[in-house]
Formats: sequence, structure tokens, C-alpha cells
Amino acid sequence: MEGRHDNSPTQAFDKDVLELTVEDVYDISYVIGRDLLKVNTGGNREISDLQFKIVRVLEMFETMVNKYNLSLEELRMEMDNMRTETDRVVAEGSSGNINTVGPNKLVVDLKDPNRPRFTMQELKEVLQERNKLKAQLLVAQEELQLYKSGVLSSQQNMVEVNLETVPQSEPLRSSITEESKEKSTIQKLFSFRPK
Amino acid sequence: MAKKTYDLLFKLLLIGDSGVGKTCVLFRFSDDAFNTTFISTIGIDFKIKTVELQGKKIKLQIWDTAGQERFHTITTSYYRGAMGIMLVYDITNAKSFENISKWLRNIDEHANEDVERMLLGNKCDMEDKRVVPKAKGEQIAKEHGIRFFETSAKANINIEKAFLTLAEDILKKTPVKEPNSENVDISTGGGVTGWKTKCCS
Repeated sequence: MEGRHDNSPTQAFDKDVLELTVEDVYDISYVIGRDLLKVNTGGNREISDLQFKIVRVLEMFETMVNKYNLSLEELRMEMDNMRTETDRVVAEGSSGNINTVGPNKLVVDLKDPNRPRFTMQELKEVLQERNKLKAQLLVAQEELQLYKSGVLSSQQNMVEVNLETVPQSEPLRSSITEESKEKSTIQKLFSFRPK
Repeated sequence: MAKKTYDLLFKLLLIGDSGVGKTCVLFRFSDDAFNTTFISTIGIDFKIKTVELQGKKIKLQIWDTAGQERFHTITTSYYRGAMGIMLVYDITNAKSFENISKWLRNIDEHANEDVERMLLGNKCDMEDKRVVPKAKGEQIAKEHGIRFFETSAKANINIEKAFLTLAEDILKKTPVKEPNSENVDISTGGGVTGWKTKCCS
């Protein structure tokens, strides 16, 4: 403090008001006090009264400068916090570790054995195939039922019935392979069994 | 054509919110059974049931759709081939009733223009939990000029009636195709012989 005073307490008078510190206010008070002392050597009562008023004004000045600097410091700290927080969020976002996902996005846990894995198109294809096979099975079952009931209702003519049905369905079967022939043979065998 | 065990094939479609009982309605009709465990339909499934109407064997291929929104793209691709669509809601679920307009819009967007529509208010056995009055179902059906039934798959109420009515309505506007005579009116009885010749037995 002393050194400061010795340096140039009057410099405080030249400073920008918004840059004044409490120390500058003390410098100003020191200079004013010293000058008043010079003037009031005779113990003039009026000057003494004025001195109290000046002290009071300087105290007010001190409080204001103090408060202003404190608020300024608070704002500065808050700004710093915000800046570090922003830096952190930005760094997190740019690195691969994305915790914050945009709207209409789904987070998939790669360790979940039940996680979604197939596309809608794949599901569609599987369902189409399932339903096609189901339809074919139903047709096959129906046909089998026909053969069975045909055989059961006319056991004597069974061979004839079978012979009849083959040419009838010939046009349909143009592309049918061994498999279905085999099937009808099996059916014949099955129908013979009750006999 | 000797293999054909039916005279006509009608493709029907069941739509409506998830959990209203579409699969149960179909299961009651096709297998005359009911299962209380709820298994959400995956995408699309179907069942076959052959019925006899006006002396004709009609094979009904009934497509059962998943009500869940996530299957929407799959299910809507089946609207086009449907000749009849049953829109099902749950009388104990207000939301499923509110969504009727949404489903009707789907029909307008994806189905054939002349598709036969029908509205079903299912679960009518649960009178104590009812939140949609029967009159409201009747009213919205009337507004859209479609038939309406309250059904219960569980108690077997109106299920067969609904399907047969829908099939009958489709039959009424199905022209009979015969090799030598076109546009034979099937209701005149003359068409019946035409059908018989097609039959294998």
C-alpha cells in the first residue's frame, strides 16, 4: 500500500472511471485528505464539517466501486463456466461417443440379444414367403383330402378313379416333376393299406 | 380345372387398432375357437375358410393385419387386393373408436375404390367395461354408408354373421363369368348351372 502511495496516488485521478479499483479510491481519499489537511491548518470548523461530508462521499464511492467490480467478477466467472461447459458438450458431440441423439433417432444397445436387426423389407419378404408356403400347404391338404375321400367312397373303383384323375389334371401338371408323381404313388399306397 | 374345390375366391382384409381382437375374430370364424392370450400379429397373416352361399362354394381368403403402426408399410400393401375390408374397433377402448376415421382414410388411400367395407365393434361381451355406445358405432357406420355389427369373438356373437354378410355383399356385385355368356345375373338362378359345370365333382 505504502509503495503505491509513494509511487503516484494522484494517478488514480486520471484513470477511466470504469476501471477504478478500491485501491484507487483509497489513493484518491489519501490525496484529498492530505490536501484538506494543508488547507485546514487553523482548525477551521467549516472545513472540518466539509471534511466529514467528503469522507462520506468517498465511502459511498468506495462501496459503489467495490460492488461494481464484484458484479463484474461474477459475470466473468459465469462466462468462463459457460465456455468450459460449451467446450465439453461440443467435444462430446464430435467424438464418436454419442449420447445425445437427434429427434426421430433410436439408440440400439448392441449387447441386447433382442435388439432389432432386420429391415422392414426383409420382414416383408419373409412374411410373403411364409404366406405363400402356407397357401401351398393348404392347397396340398385340400388335394389330399380329395384323394382320400374319393378313395374311401369308392373302394372298388379306386384304381379307375386314380387313372381318371391323372389325365384330368394333366394340363395343370405339365411342369410338375417326379415329386408329385411320387406323392400320388404314396397316396395310392396309403389308400391300399386299409384293405 | 378339375382340382378346384370352390366356385369363387374372395379376398377379405381385417384392419383396426392393435389389440381390438382382429386375430380372435378371425380365429373364431375359421377355427371356432378362442384364445385369451394376447399375441401381437407380426405384419400379416391369413386364414382360409370355405363357405356356401346361394349354392356356390366361396373360398374366403382372410388376411389378418398387424394393428401396430410399425407394420404400417407392410399391411397397407395388402389393401389393394382386398374385395372386402372389415374395420374392427374395441367397444371398451375409446381410442380404437376414434381411430376409425384414420383407418377409413387408409382404405381410401390404398384399397380398390369398389371395396366392400364393414365396421365391427368387438368385445361386446364386456358390457361392464363398455365406453363406446352401440349407437355411436351405428351412427359412424351410417355416415359412411357401411354395415355395422357388434361382435364378440369370445362369446361367439355375430362373428359368422358378419363374415357371411360381407361375403354376400361381395357376391351381389360379382359378375358371373361364363365362357359363352357374359354378365349372367347369378341371382336369377340360371347362373347356378353355370357354376355347377365348373365344379369337379
